[in-house]
Amino acid sequence: MELRLENLTKVFTNKTGQETRAVDNLDITIESGTLVALLGPSGCGKSTTLFMIAGLVKPTSGKIFFGEDDVTKLAPEKRGIGLVFQNYALYPHMTVFKNILFPLENMDVPRDEAFQRVKEMANLVGIGELLDRKPSQLSGGQQQRVAIARALVKKPRVLLLDEPLSNLDARLRLQMREEIKRIQRETGITTIFVTHDQEEAMSISDKMVVLDFGKEQQYDAPQDMYNQPDNLFVARFLGNPPINAFEAEVKNKKLIINNKPFMNVNVPDGLYDVGMRPENFRVHEKGFETEIKDIFHIGRDTMIHFEFNGKNVRALVDSDSMTDNQKTVLLTIKPERVYIFDKETGKVVNHA
Amino acid sequence: MRNLIKNVKGFLIKIGNIIKTFFWNVRRIINNFKRKISNFLDKHKINPAGKFPGWAKALLYLSPALIILAVFTFWPIINSFALVVYENYNMTNNTITGYTIFGNFLRVLTDESFIVPASHTASSAVINTLIIVFISVPISIFIALGVSVALNAIKPLKGFFQTIYFLPYVTNTIAIGLVFAYMFRTDGGLVNQFIGLFGVDTAGLSWVESNAVYWRSMFVLIFYSIWSALAFKIMVFLTSIQGIDKQYYQAAAIDATPKGRIFSKITVPLISPMIFYITVTSVIGAFKIYNAIVALFGVQGAPPGVNYNLQSIVMYIYQFIDGSKEGQLSVAAAGSLILFAIILVLTIVQMQVSKKRVHY
Amino acid sequence: MDKQLFLKSKKIESITFIFDILAIIAYIALFLMLFNLLQLPDLDPISGSMDLDNLEFLTPTYELLGSNLDKWQMNSIISILVIFLVVTFPMLFINIKKNKTRTIYEVDSYVVGSKFVQALINLLTFNFVGAGLRIYNTFILIKFVKGYSPKEFFQSIIPAIKKWFADRKVKKEKINEATIDEYSASLKRSIRRQNTVGALRMLGTYLFLVLMALIIIIPFYWMVLTSLKTFTESVAINPKFFLSISRWNWVNYKVVLTELNFGLYIKNTVTVAIFSTLGTILTTIFAAYAFARIEFKGRELLFSILIMTMMIPGELYIITNFITVSKNGLGWVGMPTGENQYFLAMIIPFVTSISYIFFLRQNFKQIPESLYKAARVDGCSDFKYLMRVMVPIASPTIFTITILNVFSSWNAYIWPRIITGVGDPDAKNYWLISNALRDSTFVQDSGRVMYNLQIAASALVTVPLLIVFFMFRKYIMNGIGRSGTKG
Repeated sequence: MELRLENLTKVFTNKTGQETRAVDNLDITIESGTLVALLGPSGCGKSTTLFMIAGLVKPTSGKIFFGEDDVTKLAPEKRGIGLVFQNYALYPHMTVFKNILFPLENMDVPRDEAFQRVKEMANLVGIGELLDRKPSQLSGGQQQRVAIARALVKKPRVLLLDEPLSNLDARLRLQMREEIKRIQRETGITTIFVTHDQEEAMSISDKMVVLDFGKEQQYDAPQDMYNQPDNLFVARFLGNPPINAFEAEVKNKKLIINNKPFMNVNVPDGLYDVGMRPENFRVHEKGFETEIKDIFHIGRDTMIHFEFNGKNVRALVDSDSMTDNQKTVLLTIKPERVYIFDKETGKVVNHA
Repeated sequence: MRNLIKNVKGFLIKIGNIIKTFFWNVRRIINNFKRKISNFLDKHKINPAGKFPGWAKALLYLSPALIILAVFTFWPIINSFALVVYENYNMTNNTITGYTIFGNFLRVLTDESFIVPASHTASSAVINTLIIVFISVPISIFIALGVSVALNAIKPLKGFFQTIYFLPYVTNTIAIGLVFAYMFRTDGGLVNQFIGLFGVDTAGLSWVESNAVYWRSMFVLIFYSIWSALAFKIMVFLTSIQGIDKQYYQAAAIDATPKGRIFSKITVPLISPMIFYITVTSVIGAFKIYNAIVALFGVQGAPPGVNYNLQSIVMYIYQFIDGSKEGQLSVAAAGSLILFAIILVLTIVQMQVSKKRVHY
Repeated sequence: MDKQLFLKSKKIESITFIFDILAIIAYIALFLMLFNLLQLPDLDPISGSMDLDNLEFLTPTYELLGSNLDKWQMNSIISILVIFLVVTFPMLFINIKKNKTRTIYEVDSYVVGSKFVQALINLLTFNFVGAGLRIYNTFILIKFVKGYSPKEFFQSIIPAIKKWFADRKVKKEKINEATIDEYSASLKRSIRRQNTVGALRMLGTYLFLVLMALIIIIPFYWMVLTSLKTFTESVAINPKFFLSISRWNWVNYKVVLTELNFGLYIKNTVTVAIFSTLGTILTTIFAAYAFARIEFKGRELLFSILIMTMMIPGELYIITNFITVSKNGLGWVGMPTGENQYFLAMIIPFVTSISYIFFLRQNFKQIPESLYKAARVDGCSDFKYLMRVMVPIASPTIFTITILNVFSSWNAYIWPRIITGVGDPDAKNYWLISNALRDSTFVQDSGRVMYNLQIAASALVTVPLLIVFFMFRKYIMNGIGRSGTKG
């Protein structure tokens, strides 16, 4: 089922009358059966957006459509959503079985069918043997699975996940990531996934939305967003190690770095913000010569530090291409991997 | 045999299932009904929740408690300020003869046996109360601290001792008071027997019966109040001592700190907020001592045939509450407002001090 | 580890419980039957009251199962039954709890030993089936822990003892053989000194604790002892510190319950306790929920007003409440005989409590907000959320509140005394036990104060509280510790 947000806005007013726009004019269409990640730094309004879709928070203005139905004013239980919380929100006094059964109690389901559904769902998420246990007797990953089963058992139209992996340790997180992806594929349910971890979002989602201060920055497939960021914020937010950003001038269609022309670019003259990802640099004999400030060997790659226009810049290059006591290095970078942003709007100018 | 058990078990499970299914279906019907109502409301664009603001819902939940509190808590507070300005309030006829501002307070403060001992007695309510407060509170806190530190130091039998020390908390004050009075009997009382073991002549050594000396009956009262107050204090101190981070003790052990210094330099300072809190609450509690006196000495508050009284302030107030004479309830109200003032001062002192933190 | 054996042992234990319960029911039934048979002095035909001075000189004989028992034999039988109950009831209670919570890793030789001791206790309390089952269970556990079958176990006993002695010998020799240089000798000396100091300190600590425990426990012992004495024994110049079980006068309790009407007073108290506790629980749950979860204007203000009233001494309320419930107010007391509603006056003012509302609200606030959101998404209404989620999660606190409230009704003295003390002759029938204890007359026409009966009444009031306390010790003690810590 398709999910559509139209000019969704949420304004919080605190006691002193100060207004904060937690979500600002969000306009997104999520296609049926996709897994979409809502990504952004903490406080960017991603959880508020999720709770507005769930119906737990009332939007200030704008509309939410599930398919053709306008659900903006509908109570949460009538929307047909499943919600998984960061801390799982399992009822601690009920067994796993009762926890999963609980949503069905409030629906029109015969008891036998309800039991059947609970068992099916438990098997789907892989906790079929743990039905008699209390949540406190489960590990974090198992609790997470129970929470997902509880959200899915009522056959919701949309599954909403609010930072579901952030309470897990690193190894479990990887495993649960794949698990969520698998469950989503098997059920084919439209899923929205909130996270602040860009790596997690990129690995799990079909498409992702990057938010900052409640505003949509870009809505695209993960790899496209990585390769063609719309603006400096998105470019900075994605990628680890982060993108190198520095100021540079364009003179006569040439990018000037360290008072030398670096490469030809097809933008008007002026001062710009330039971004280059560390892993996009290559060592090449016809490259641009720079003085090395520092070298770190990290296994397969070598990290070199140097200065572009007074800013520290990092490059991740093949270890084989470097020797230990090198003082300078010759570097190149593909033109389509150089991002030039407008100084004022932050929008990219050299990509279509 | 095994089959029989299995059959019985299966049968019971079946019955349980039938009952559970029945309730499940009832819930389904109710849910369906609810859904129909809400669909109907949705269709006609009626939103009852919107017309039903938060405070109305809160009022619904709060009303049972608030009604009772209004009648039996808030109204008495207001009414006692009214009572103290009435002159000769008569409860049975609900009449007064006039108003007075300080009359009832003056009556309490100048009453013989409230502050100043009357000519025929040797003590007054305030003197008695202060003696109880200043002797029983420090002693009981000291003992409770000692016991809880000792309890914290041991491992075997800890739970056993803890349970025993807690017993006084769960007893009826009157009942055990009667036992104490019995134990302190002159002839054949357990205490006199015990003292007799050390060669003391116990003939006519009376504690709570006629001809008991003031200090002796006061001793029994203080002993009983300490005995019954220990349980709570030990419990609270033990909880807070156990809450102290073990690292402090480990650090002290590595520095070879003697046990006495650990107690005075680590344990006491770290639980000092709790000690202070308990001090204030037990001072307030000691001001309100009543049941213990009644249990030991009867409603008169004195052993028979003596020329003093062991009344506390609260007991002094209660002697006016039977409404049999005109104006007595007003005096009682005045007395209780004075008590309230004392407690208020103590509480404010406690709040101020704990704001500054008694720590370290 | 053989899980099957463990499960089997658990199953047998739960079957044993059935017989334990049956035994306890039998003890209670027998006790009640014999207690009912106990003979009281005849009523005085003129005054219609009982001459209790004769109580101890009564020498009735009882016919039981064809044999004639005298007073002392009867006392002994009842005493033995009570001792059985005192031993078996807590044992059952603890065992059920342990059987529920014990995991497979906790079973060791100590558990086996305690099971065997329990079997012996069962044997001594004439619960032969239980004893048999427990001994069988002991062997299963031996098999589980040591891997011996019963036969092997008996065979292994003597070699094990021999081995133990042999080991000891070897150890001693080893110590003697070891050569000790100067440094390690001094080290050893200092360790020994340290151990001596530590042991002495421990000894001192325990002595202090035992002494304090004696001071706490002696009044209870003296109470129970005196309550079973005859009048003459209770006022003897040289009181006895022990009584043989045939001298335990259970008839004292019967007199207190029937002739001195304590049965009625206990009934009154239980009625008041049940209703005021039910009311308190309901009102506090709703109020605490409103303060913890519902957003409304003035919530904090209202709550801080409530907290402030906690400081006001109860005496202040009692004055006006007395006016409120009497003739010119609600008219529950102070009316002509027969029109008074003493129970209403004793229950209604106490069906809510600010401190419990505060206590419960703190507890409700700790329940994470996300549970509420999850329930909302699941289509759970506010009321259902409160009942299905919040109340079960806060149930330990609610239970503590229940117990504390029952205790405080049980101890209520001043308010019942005031409202039953307004001169209505009927009011005596509405006394609660504390009033009855203080205000009943234990003085006979001859001027004697019946101390043994007075103390028996005290014991009757104290023992139910102690039983409840021992059953729910953990809840109560934790609740008190916490409420104190939070302030």
